Amino acid sequence: MEQNHTKRQIKVTRNSLFEQGYLDEQFTQLEDLQDDANPNFVEEIVTSFFSDSTRLIRNVETALENYPLDFCKLDDYMHQFMGSSSSIGAKKVRNECTQFQEYCKARNDDGCIRAFQRVKQEHATLKRKLEAYFQVSL
Amino acid sequence: MTVEEIRGSVGVNNNNNNNNNNEIDRFPIGMRVLAVDDDPTCLKLLDGLLRKCQYQVTTTNQARTALKMLRENRNRFDLVISDVHMPDMDGFKLLELVGLEMDLPVIMLSGNSDPKLVMKGITHGACDYLVKPVRLEELRNIWQHVIRRKVESKSQSRSNNNQERQNHDGGPEAGSGDPNGKVNRKRKDEDFEDFEDNGNEDDDPSTQKKPRVVWSIDLHRKFVAAVNQLGIEKAVPKRILDLMNVEGLTRENVASHLQKYRLYLKRISQQANMVVAFGGSKDPSSYMRMSPLDGIGDFRSLSGSTRLPNAQLSSYPPSGMLGRLSSATGMTLHSLTTPALIQPTHTQNLTGSVNSLNKFQPVVLPTPPNHQPTSLLQGIPTSFDLGQLQPSNKPNNTQLPDFNPIDESRIFNGSSTFPVSSSSTFLDVPQPIGDGFNNQLPPNNSLNYCSNTALINMIADTMTAFGSSITTTPSLPLEGQSQRHAQYGNQSYGQYSSNGFSGLAAAAPPSSTGGLGGQVSQSNDGICGVYNRSNGNGALAMQMNNKETHRSNTKLKMGSGENFLPSGFVANNSYDSLDDLMNGMMKREQDPTISMDGEFGFDPYSFGSCI
Repeated sequence: MEQNHTKRQIKVTRNSLFEQGYLDEQFTQLEDLQDDANPNFVEEIVTSFFSDSTRLIRNVETALENYPLDFCKLDDYMHQFMGSSSSIGAKKVRNECTQFQEYCKARNDDGCIRAFQRVKQEHATLKRKLEAYFQVSL
Repeated sequence: MTVEEIRGSVGVNNNNNNNNNNEIDRFPIGMRVLAVDDDPTCLKLLDGLLRKCQYQVTTTNQARTALKMLRENRNRFDLVISDVHMPDMDGFKLLELVGLEMDLPVIMLSGNSDPKLVMKGITHGACDYLVKPVRLEELRNIWQHVIRRKVESKSQSRSNNNQERQNHDGGPEAGSGDPNGKVNRKRKDEDFEDFEDNGNEDDDPSTQKKPRVVWSIDLHRKFVAAVNQLGIEKAVPKRILDLMNVEGLTRENVASHLQKYRLYLKRISQQANMVVAFGGSKDPSSYMRMSPLDGIGDFRSLSGSTRLPNAQLSSYPPSGMLGRLSSATGMTLHSLTTPALIQPTHTQNLTGSVNSLNKFQPVVLPTPPNHQPTSLLQGIPTSFDLGQLQPSNKPNNTQLPDFNPIDESRIFNGSSTFPVSSSSTFLDVPQPIGDGFNNQLPPNNSLNYCSNTALINMIADTMTAFGSSITTTPSLPLEGQSQRHAQYGNQSYGQYSSNGFSGLAAAAPPSSTGGLGGQVSQSNDGICGVYNRSNGNGALAMQMNNKETHRSNTKLKMGSGENFLPSGFVANNSYDSLDDLMNGMMKREQDPTISMDGEFGFDPYSFGSCI
């Protein structure tokens, strides 16, 4: 009973992540890749994402402190960020990255800064949620 | 082609496949993929996905590491997947290098689906372009690129052979796609690498052995002139043959020569691309990285007496060929901003040219063996004004004239020196000549990386035209050469590139004087390629060394009147790749965004403009 309850809980949690748009079907692909040969694949790749993206975020923050803003570099960072976040299915994070890139293209200082704040926010939120999810499911 | 045959051919290359037979038999299972992506998350995902497809995956987040692995053993992988956006090396650069050196299919990967980038991928030779996030379904199909490449290369090789044998006019010499191709496809079971060695002496019973034709410099010049006149796109063997108006030359001869020529040009263009891509790094080691080291490894020594040391010869060809290009097309390497730029190109060129040259079949010259030496580049525009490239060559220029008191007034300057390093068995590069010459050494760098066979062949071919045979000693240890010459890298490199026939020339000059260090021991006509590099006349003159007074210890022996080349040449094992390259090149020509390639065609603008 306990187990069923937990399983259901896990399912609910997972579904809500999808429903709320935090994750997309790419995440499902990750799950599909998890098997006996790769039992912790999802968690490993998500962990890798967060450690790498944290580093990226720091770089972007530093870049945002240097005026005039180097939009090329910022765009570069975002491109990377987008690539990795889309790879794990971090939908909201990716969308915010796209926004950021738009502002970069428009060379909009303020827009960039604001967009980046949202990126960071989504990033932190997702991290929290996934950590909770893994705790329950693993 | 049956599935078994395909698998078999794939399996043949799986030398290092420790998973052995089970996986080979079950291709695409066990296909060996090299995945390159600087993003750890994406790389991990790729790894997982590829493993799910049951491929054998190797990952690296550094392009340089990937290149190193590939160069160490190109047979270790069947396919490469690479991200476009990488910090240590541009993905397209890696793509080109892999395509040139290893002829492996490369799939590009990017978070960006911008059509321009996709186009760039295509023109650089990628066989596919995937957008992140990558899906499993997409990866399940990538094995097709491995097979396709094998099929195409085999069919092209076969069809080339067939074309030469049969009287098919015009048609798609540029590669596959003619009726003979179908015949060829039945032979796919053979490892396509076998083609290299077979050249034309193949297993087609219907072929009668024709006397080999030697593509002398003169003959080649006529050929180039004819091609230019017709326009590279419209140049078909029949019409070329008519224009050339050479007795005894057959359409098949022209056809095969044309094909090689195209491949050569393609390589040149690609290499020019590389030059641009690589910028002006003057670090010799950087060239080494970039240069197709694999070419050396893959270099097949010419059978028989025609063994040319890799290092030396490879330095020649591109320029040689370039020299032959009409002025319009001429690869105006000298227009490159820095010699350093030329180097990588040069290397690439060498590879390319070598490869293409490899395929050259000696043609029996209708002209008598004691052909008067002719300037190789008579009338060829001075795109090879080495003077521009290498101020340091000036001393060479002055010196060279002394070297060859030959009928021809053309002088092989500097350029000749480069491939002929003292150690090389090949042409002795007259190092003592002066700094200018030293600069020429670098081509060796590139040489090491190029497959020299083709180059040697080409040189030999041209040489033989003059009734002399070029025998080359077995290749030098390329590594040593490259190291030795590494320092010279930049400058001479440029020289070489501009010297179409520097290689040829190199063969001729006596090394002692730092001129064409070549032991041209012709009895009749030594072919002394002399490049008038410095003089701004740009004419790369091929001096016929009738009286080679300065016989250096160059091992490049110009035999007398023998067409040694024909026998000696071993088809470049990268031939197949050349065809692919050629296709790639053709595409590139049309791509306006790729500045380097445009000139590949024979339009009346300098090649340099593509740079």
